[in-house]
Amino acid sequence: MIYDYIQNREDHPDDVTDVAPNYEQEFVNAKSFLQRTSTVTGDNMYDHLTDCLNKILAERPENVIDFFEEYSRKVKERRYYPLTDHLEDIYVPPGRFAFANKIMPFLKPLAPGEPSTVDPDDLEIADMSKNNMLQLLYYFEQTGVGLPRNDMFYLTLSMRKLIHSKPISKIRFWGVIYGIFKNYIILEAELKEEEYIKRNEKLLQDEILPPPPITDETALQKSGEEIEKALEELKHQQDIGGEDRTTKYPRQLPPEPPNLFEEPPEAPSEPSGVGINKKVYFCCNEIGDDWIELPDITPKHIRIARQIYKSFSGFLDREVLTYPEFPGLEKDYLRAQIARISAGTDISPLGFYTFSPGGEGEGEEEEEEEAEEGGDQQKTTYSENPKYDPPPLKDLLDMSVSFWVHHTLYILPQGRTSWWNPNPLPEQGEEMDEEMGEGEEEKEKPIGPEPETGPPLLTPCSEDATLEAVPAWSIRCSSKIAEEYAIAIVRSNLWPGGYTFTTQGKLWQNIYLGFGLKYLEHNFSPTPLPPVQQDYPIGPEIMEIMDPTGAQEEEWRIAHLPKPPPIKIMGGEELGEEEEDEDEDEDDDDDDE
Amino acid sequence: MNLEIILNTLESSGQSGRAITTEESIVLYNSLLILQNENHFRKIYFWGKIFGSDKDYFVAYGYVNDALLGRIYYYSRDCINWGLLPLPKDEAKLLTPLCTTMFQGDPALVIDILIEKGEIALGKVVKEHKVRKLKEEDRLSATIYYLNQEAVLVPRGALFKRPDGVTIENRTFEGLSELESREIKTFLHYRNPTQKWNTNLLTRDDYNYALDFLDPADMDIPEGCFMHHLVAGNTIVLIKPMYWPGMIFFHYIQTNRYGFVYFGNGKKCLDVPFLLLPNL
Repeated sequence: MIYDYIQNREDHPDDVTDVAPNYEQEFVNAKSFLQRTSTVTGDNMYDHLTDCLNKILAERPENVIDFFEEYSRKVKERRYYPLTDHLEDIYVPPGRFAFANKIMPFLKPLAPGEPSTVDPDDLEIADMSKNNMLQLLYYFEQTGVGLPRNDMFYLTLSMRKLIHSKPISKIRFWGVIYGIFKNYIILEAELKEEEYIKRNEKLLQDEILPPPPITDETALQKSGEEIEKALEELKHQQDIGGEDRTTKYPRQLPPEPPNLFEEPPEAPSEPSGVGINKKVYFCCNEIGDDWIELPDITPKHIRIARQIYKSFSGFLDREVLTYPEFPGLEKDYLRAQIARISAGTDISPLGFYTFSPGGEGEGEEEEEEEAEEGGDQQKTTYSENPKYDPPPLKDLLDMSVSFWVHHTLYILPQGRTSWWNPNPLPEQGEEMDEEMGEGEEEKEKPIGPEPETGPPLLTPCSEDATLEAVPAWSIRCSSKIAEEYAIAIVRSNLWPGGYTFTTQGKLWQNIYLGFGLKYLEHNFSPTPLPPVQQDYPIGPEIMEIMDPTGAQEEEWRIAHLPKPPPIKIMGGEELGEEEEDEDEDEDDDDDDE
Repeated sequence: MNLEIILNTLESSGQSGRAITTEESIVLYNSLLILQNENHFRKIYFWGKIFGSDKDYFVAYGYVNDALLGRIYYYSRDCINWGLLPLPKDEAKLLTPLCTTMFQGDPALVIDILIEKGEIALGKVVKEHKVRKLKEEDRLSATIYYLNQEAVLVPRGALFKRPDGVTIENRTFEGLSELESREIKTFLHYRNPTQKWNTNLLTRDDYNYALDFLDPADMDIPEGCFMHHLVAGNTIVLIKPMYWPGMIFFHYIQTNRYGFVYFGNGKKCLDVPFLLLPNL
């Protein structure tokens, strides 16, 4: 072999190197193999490898061997893009384009209003000095909540626009309720008092003049009564006919069961500007949308909202399908939850508000009068304390929460903030409904017409009862390092998402960012259906009785055999009837006796 | 959420109203870097915050090699001193769902759990009243285990399984397109897959052995138990599981930025059937 090899080498003296004999040929072969196009895609290996290596060498990624397959796939994909993208020339607006379009009107300075002779102070445009959302965001961020910075900025602008178009005297950002499909951004506002008066007058008028649909209903009722009368006459005639008949079929039916259920008297809703309707809420799904005012609510909305556990969809006009039935659409439910959350989580540092008439607003007196009309001595108004001296941070951070007070009225189990006496009827039925309602604060429920009471305004949060060992509030300090700049943070545990902060100065703010649902210690269990009521009074007609056996019937017959012979023929008749029905026999027997 | 995102959470988790506070984010950024260095983690992440009534827990995790199975958890109550989170014990896993109270913030606290007679707990009917004890640290560990099992998502393509079985982060991940991100099935559970490998592979037509090895989120029961939003002018996709309110997953569309963070009280919401809404 070796000899042969040497021999061969000697045969070709010019081939000195160790290269395979036909290396050029082999190279060409290999290259042409690699360049062979795929019958399916028309691609070839050679170009693909070149591209891959090019890309890798250009980008020089780390540990490229681990992702080589991915790289190769991406290179391949990219090669096909131009072939498949036939719409390449068509311009596709970026996703944010629509949003930019929507927000642009807010980003232009407000159009100057028509020059009027009214003094600018008399225009009564709501004070926006506390609504610089970017300033608030600075503190919210320290609190651990907040919306993206852009959104906060747009929010300020959009609020500024709103106060020029609506009669608003006070406005503030309330928070966001996150829904399944869309979210609700919510503003809290107080209207000017003329507006409240106008609304309440309109409401009164509506009550005096019942709207047309109700007259339709009465007409319907009337026609219903007529039909009933006609039916009764028919029945009466049948009864008369029945007397002539010898058989008792069809037997006379027992009277139809009357509906004994009486709706418990419904507490009247509080007028706009009072109690649960004291404030007006505006909401929208996305920043840049129009603000939609939420309707005023009735006590029933509140009571039912306490019994259900339902998420928000994000569509205001969607039905709320629950048991017990919610009397309204999602906007009413949203408004009811906002009222409950506000009553539960609106807190302010002790001393910021006082009862002394420090403010100059005329509306307050008005409200007070209205409250008095309601027969309530409860104070419903307060004003900012001009001599407010912020409590020291150490007190604000006290675990007992006694330096924080509620500044929104507690909602009674009745669904109102002031108690309405449903006399002369005691509200038994209502009490039943309220089993779940006492959630806000565990309070002893009054029995009968004893007035329901809640804690008065500006009660310290330390009075709040705990919900099954869950303290109502958790307190945090925003900083452990720089205490001189730290802010105090109060987090609601009963309404997850409710936060309040206060600086060591006079700035404080409530915010709610959550799903709009109350904290439940255990799982939610819906209200059970009421027990089935009895249609008819219990009696032999509707009771199930065992059929007598043949032997029993025989016994009975023998026992009742007529004794005097003259009536023997009658007895025979009876026997015939007896076989037909037992009941009848009984009747006959009674007759005989 | 990785360390770059920690410093500005308002833009990501702020879409759902929660953020890491200014001071915490700065402290976390630095203390987590130190923690990473001490443990020689390849990468370290902030996992979330569990609210306690007295103190809050901060949770972080990192991994050395395997991004899926090799995650090691640490927790802290002040963002500075980190303690190793014990692995969830079987006992704790069984007892945690029975805890109804809130976390308190003291890992050494022992909670009494009353199991009433006739209740079906621990897999069988209990014959008589029992009181079981659970340490809050174990409860924390089990809660995090359950959250990881049920609520944590990653976009498809973000994790890559090497042929040797080790899962790594995919450096070629370029983000989901807008169309893809509208589908819940392009989001995968960040957990050891519970389905067979070929089941997960065949859920897609364009399957890829290295990417489709995790369970897709659309298999979860009931349908629609994730709130799925496209926000900020369709540039961010936001997913919130209804079972664990407070868990926020976000992904910046067509970028490789994604993450999740939890801000909540560590309790599973079992009322999802009442909250579900049919799509219009």
